[in-house]
Amino acid sequence: MSTDDLSVIGRRQPRLDGFDKVSGRSVFTDDIVLPGQLHGRILRSPHARARIVSIDTSRALALPGVKAVVTSADAPDLMFSDRQPLLARGFVHYAGEEVAAVAATDPLIAEEALDLIDVVYEPLPSVTSLRKAMQPGAPVLHDWAPGNVALTHDKDFGDPDAAFAASDLVVTDEFRSPVQHNTLAELHVVLADFSNPDKLHLYTPTQGAPMYQMQLAKAFGLETSQVRIVYGNVGGAFTGRGRAKPHHLIAALLSRVAGKPVKIKATGDEEFIMFRGSGETEYRFRTGVTRDGRIRVLEADVSFDAGAHAEWAMILWLPAPYLNWLYKVDAVRYRGRFVYTNTVPKGSHHGGIFGRLSAGWMQHLTHVAEELGMDPAEFHRRNAIDPGHHALDGSDFASCGLKECIDKVVERSGWKQKYGRLPPYRGIGLGIGAQASGGKNASNDTSAALVKVADDGVVTLYTGIPDMGQGSHTVMGMIAAEVLGVEPADIRIVAGDSDITPFDWGAFSQRGTFTTGNAVKAAAEDARAQLAAIVAPLLGAAPEDLVFAARRIHVKGQPPDAAGKSLSFREAVGKAFHGAEGRPIMGRGFFNSPRPSGSLAYSFGAQVAEVEVDPESGAVQVLKVTAAHDIGRALNPLAVEGQLDGQVFSGMSQVLYEECRMDGGQILNPSRLEYKLPRTYELPEVEYILVETIDPYGPFGAKEVGEGPIVVTMAAVANAVANAMGELIPRMPMTPWRLLRVIRHREKQNRG
Amino acid sequence: MLLPDHDFLKPRTLAEGLDALRDAPAGTRPLGGGTDLVFNMRCRLVAPPAVVSLKDLPELQGVAESADGTLRIGAGSRLTDLVADPRITARYPALAAAFRAVASRHVRNLATLGGNLCLDTRCWFTNQTKEWRDAKGPCLKTGVDACHAIQGSSVCVALNNADSPPALIALGATVTLASAAGERTLPLADFYRDDGIRHTVLGPGEILVSVTVPPVTDRLVFRKETARQGMDFAYGTIAVRADGRGERATRLVIVLGSLTTAPRRLVAAEEKLAALGLGEAGLAAAEATVRDALGALTNLYSPAAYKRDLARTLLSKAVTELRELPA
Repeated sequence: MSTDDLSVIGRRQPRLDGFDKVSGRSVFTDDIVLPGQLHGRILRSPHARARIVSIDTSRALALPGVKAVVTSADAPDLMFSDRQPLLARGFVHYAGEEVAAVAATDPLIAEEALDLIDVVYEPLPSVTSLRKAMQPGAPVLHDWAPGNVALTHDKDFGDPDAAFAASDLVVTDEFRSPVQHNTLAELHVVLADFSNPDKLHLYTPTQGAPMYQMQLAKAFGLETSQVRIVYGNVGGAFTGRGRAKPHHLIAALLSRVAGKPVKIKATGDEEFIMFRGSGETEYRFRTGVTRDGRIRVLEADVSFDAGAHAEWAMILWLPAPYLNWLYKVDAVRYRGRFVYTNTVPKGSHHGGIFGRLSAGWMQHLTHVAEELGMDPAEFHRRNAIDPGHHALDGSDFASCGLKECIDKVVERSGWKQKYGRLPPYRGIGLGIGAQASGGKNASNDTSAALVKVADDGVVTLYTGIPDMGQGSHTVMGMIAAEVLGVEPADIRIVAGDSDITPFDWGAFSQRGTFTTGNAVKAAAEDARAQLAAIVAPLLGAAPEDLVFAARRIHVKGQPPDAAGKSLSFREAVGKAFHGAEGRPIMGRGFFNSPRPSGSLAYSFGAQVAEVEVDPESGAVQVLKVTAAHDIGRALNPLAVEGQLDGQVFSGMSQVLYEECRMDGGQILNPSRLEYKLPRTYELPEVEYILVETIDPYGPFGAKEVGEGPIVVTMAAVANAVANAMGELIPRMPMTPWRLLRVIRHREKQNRG
Repeated sequence: MLLPDHDFLKPRTLAEGLDALRDAPAGTRPLGGGTDLVFNMRCRLVAPPAVVSLKDLPELQGVAESADGTLRIGAGSRLTDLVADPRITARYPALAAAFRAVASRHVRNLATLGGNLCLDTRCWFTNQTKEWRDAKGPCLKTGVDACHAIQGSSVCVALNNADSPPALIALGATVTLASAAGERTLPLADFYRDDGIRHTVLGPGEILVSVTVPPVTDRLVFRKETARQGMDFAYGTIAVRADGRGERATRLVIVLGSLTTAPRRLVAAEEKLAALGLGEAGLAAAEATVRDALGALTNLYSPAAYKRDLARTLLSKAVTELRELPA
């Protein structure tokens, strides 16, 4: 299908829910109040590690207004995950761990009741950092994990040893990244109604209902369908809402005990105690190249801080395939380990694990290029994959605009005039990256959709994909409108209720546009086929000769309003429903990748960042980011630009600003005042370049723009700062004091 | 993080307010815009049985200008109004900049000058929720003989993070305090104490009524270094006042803020600059005095080593800006 045939796709479509959002009409979880609703609060461990000697809840229970107090004694079999009781049992393993919870008629009473729960702890030696946990002789958190290593993942592709041996040059660099929190606009909140023990209703923001349903069903011994997840509007996720957290289960438990709905809402600082953001990461890259700049072998060795429980093992596995997606190489080696520490269990941050690794990896590869005396842009381009590439990990790349992206940013940023020619403390950096559009982590990667057309021509689309701010509902509406030949404004979206909306794993792994988009397209095509079958005889044409456009259906080759050869969409639906058959139009569709594993499509991108470091204060200003991305077709360029702005912002934030500053297992800066996110003032000028390779598998050729750009921004900004400083910056974030220390050290050396 | 129970008193006149403070139970706190106190109450850092709202007291409002150009600014004036007041913006743009540096427009719409001058000191071991503090254990400010910021310190070293004091001190501003027992006036420089717990000289039941800025024609510069532009507490601030023009000056006042428990005047640096001028030689000599003038620094919010570097950077940037000011 050429662009000329598309009327809705490719349009700069404002959000369909935009007016509701900005006028305050949109309903978020905390807006929902159920009759008799109670307020829950969680008592958390003050210790990084301790034995629980005793818990006495009698004073809290006696407080008027308190309707339930729960500890592990009330739910001895309730597990959060395989080896993790929902409420601490005998021991606590991190400061902030859930020990007890109360539900009361008023939030102040609930808060007061927490003070009346008497817990006696016997503190134990703890390990509160990745380095401490990996030291020989460090206290061991769990007896099943000697040396505190929870899991390892070792993977060789090709023959790395031979490839290193055959390399002319081998370069090694090491990096460190801090604990980071995926600060969400909407704080963690849940409203659980388990007053009927046969049905658990859970209102909460999520990236996808099925994971939550499965976790809660397993914990409470229910069938999946007995758990209903309602997730109307979601205020951001950034990987932070991929799985249910303890508070979801605790609210359900409190509701079951009290027989009333219970709401638990995190406070601003609690958000930083219960989060599942990125843990400390130490990573080493080793790369072997030929003298003329061909990469033979890539190696990464990564240690992840898992926190006290290995909840998110997936982040340990993901880097192995990722190393294969950018360059044509002979071999790849990955060594990863997941290490227990006495800190909150960790997950991942915006950009997934690739973002933070990329900030180091791309500095390292720039270093390799400079050792070879090559322009880094030329080095990346020389090794970059082409469409049709089959990678060592088995990935196939049907579409790939990587080289075009590199060429475009090099040209538009003036790279050749600037690289190596900027004044001191001005820097320019190039990063490249790839990202998968969905991927199989279970038996399937399915999304389904339903389309209902009312006899007034209004189309209702039922989808389980959440809109977390990324505009997915608008894009789904555009896809349905394009197929049915109507306007996006004609589409009503019903979303986010697992009792109503069809199956959808949800919005993660950048699968929304690609996978759910294909499902919506299939459902709309099903509805269109039903309409076409009814309309075709009336217009004296074959169903496949009908064109759906501009709210009309006409015979191909005829003008859209040709007498006897066309009718309006509304008339057509009326003929179906009010005709002899009385047929309501209901389309259904689903999509699942035909690949047994991995992904069908990958986005690619390149960015050039320009920065200025103030040599007197160490502060970095990002001046400009030039971003070229191959995202397949841009279904809604306006939303794509929004994604790019957001990801450039979050990417530079992670490289330059964000850090949970830890002190013996406690976070010193658990607030948005002290956890320094940049603001709009700090956002640089962003120049967008869309490289539209039309992917054969994506809906209308689309791939993803959900996390691809941020990975590249982190690489480009890190490289730009390293370029301005004239040396690698191994420690993230690149705060003023870290850079100033480097500058002062160098001044001292120059003097001495 | 919910506001604990407390009584709320709203007197109509200053006299009524001072009586209320005198008669109120111990621990009662005066309330300006509430942008600092209310949040500290939510964190249970303070738990006053009552708060007395001073914000709308007529005696605490407005800016008055005397014939000689002296400005009297009521402590209850909102910062939003002050940053737009032509008597301030025209004569003391650097002072207006200092007021504008406080938080954001939204906060300045509530916050008062008195509130900013009395802003409680901050420390990331105490400005946390009660649960957080309970986990870390108490400190000097919360009732025991221990300091988490500097081991073994016998005095609280929390930071004075207010943006408005350095410029006002540099201008030689005085403050008028009042209690039911009477009024007193003292230099703002003497208002602060090097003690994070009792960080001002205010006595029980005593409040800040007004700030008086004498007429000044000297040059004045204010700078604030933050992690982010806008709506943030400073890593460090500086105000530099000097007579003369260009690189010549005979009388200087240099005040650093946000690096220490009380705003810190850099007397030795003032003397070097007065003696050697504001050129590179004078500046280098002045910068060399900063380390000793600052003494021990904390790692609160930023590392001590960075604070030392930042103090020199602020001095260098401010003096450079000052000597380039148009006459």
